[in-house]
Amino acid sequence: MTLAEALARARPSKRSGFVAFLTAGDPDLRATARYVSALRSEGADIVELGIPFSDPVADGPVIQAAAERALKKGTRLLDVLAALRRLRAAGERVPVILFSYLNPALRLGAERFAREAAAAGAQGALLVDLPAESAGPWRRALARAGVELVLLASPTTSDERLRLIGDGSGSIVYYVSREGVTGARRGLPPGLAERLARVRRLTGKPLIVGFGVCGADQARRLAPFAAGVVVGSALVRAAAGKSAAAGERALRRLAKDIVRGLSEC
Amino acid sequence: MPCLTCPAGSTWDPRTFAEALREWSASSRDTYYLLVSALGPHPYPTIVRDFQAVIGREARRQILAAEGRLPDELVACVGGGSNAIGLFFAFLKDRSVRMTGIEAGGLGIAGGRHAARFQGGAPGVLHGTYTFLLQDASGQVRPTHSVAAGLDYPAVGPEHAWLRDRGRVRYGFATDRQAREAFHLLCRTEGILPALESAHALAYVIERAPKMRKKEILLMNLSGRGDKDLEAWPA
Repeated sequence: MTLAEALARARPSKRSGFVAFLTAGDPDLRATARYVSALRSEGADIVELGIPFSDPVADGPVIQAAAERALKKGTRLLDVLAALRRLRAAGERVPVILFSYLNPALRLGAERFAREAAAAGAQGALLVDLPAESAGPWRRALARAGVELVLLASPTTSDERLRLIGDGSGSIVYYVSREGVTGARRGLPPGLAERLARVRRLTGKPLIVGFGVCGADQARRLAPFAAGVVVGSALVRAAAGKSAAAGERALRRLAKDIVRGLSEC
Repeated sequence: MPCLTCPAGSTWDPRTFAEALREWSASSRDTYYLLVSALGPHPYPTIVRDFQAVIGREARRQILAAEGRLPDELVACVGGGSNAIGLFFAFLKDRSVRMTGIEAGGLGIAGGRHAARFQGGAPGVLHGTYTFLLQDASGQVRPTHSVAAGLDYPAVGPEHAWLRDRGRVRYGFATDRQAREAFHLLCRTEGILPALESAHALAYVIERAPKMRKKEILLMNLSGRGDKDLEAWPA
């Protein structure tokens, strides 16, 4: 099943797929595994597992702080993959995208990263600071291993690069709906619907749309224009500083709210 | 214009670069990104190099006027490496001119508390640049140390990594202690107060010059003045 198919399955119960982001290892990897299954049972169609990195330039304060907590616990890329492998062995089937800065993956090399990601049971890989122009070796290595590369597009991406990003991506493209870093915000940027239509046309791929979604209201307004709505900082903040049990309760509550937004007409 | 506050005393703290990139990623339509060194995403390293290249063009013209020939060796300190690339660039085609870049050896290479990317670093990506990077086995960026703030950064300018790969420039290092000694020596003998960054290049000159023949010319880029460093100087 491709990531696009996983999103298509979200309908007709929801108008758009729910893509839930978690920083892996915050507060620890056992909690992360528990959170993944909880979010799936609340209606997440895809889970993005954020690999902690020392210098997360694309992230706002909420995910930066989560990454710092996870790194202090010693959480590294291979630890996250091992945790994912255990989760798969325990029967968890929700599609997973590994969300990493390029350097930890580069350290393994494209071939080994692809093999390890596939062996762990990941369906997709998103390397935040990998430019589409340099993505060829990663796309090919991942494709050989059966993992999709997910490339990013943003409001400042030119038409020419949107085509390149469409060609380089697997079955979906991740559209960063705002300029700037990750973080929950109110409202939707003006003109978003038109821009999404243009990005969809030029990339030729269904879009997951993220950066700034914090609750039911935005999810509802975004749903008609996106194959999937990504919620990251709001989920990470909901669970931040809590025990695994309390974190799970907070995540379930927020996920219910988002799914309600995605399901309303 | 938004003003970002640097963490205390460390303009070269990687967090400062990250904050600048975060700000710029939200404002790139109407904001220019100006960096203090030959680092960052393409084409920034080449933009900075092209502006800094005036150093080498002038140095080449002046040494030819003064000595009637090219120098035998150039030396400059390398943090991001803008002063070094600025000096080297005009001489790259002069095959007879050796070039040496000096990184910050901090408290010594063995203990890991340094900023010498070519000693123990590996190719990696930080802040949009693919270059030599001080990192651990899992690809997390390592903390660095140098007495000179301008050399205290975990990644080297990408063109230096390329010049090293090509064998065109050699890279060495000087420790904090060697840089301090060089600083004192220049103050006492010439009455010149060098920046602690430049003092790293000077430490190499002190070792290198006695091994050269008397007629050979060693050209060093004294890239900054040390007034700024006096406050941090232990009595």
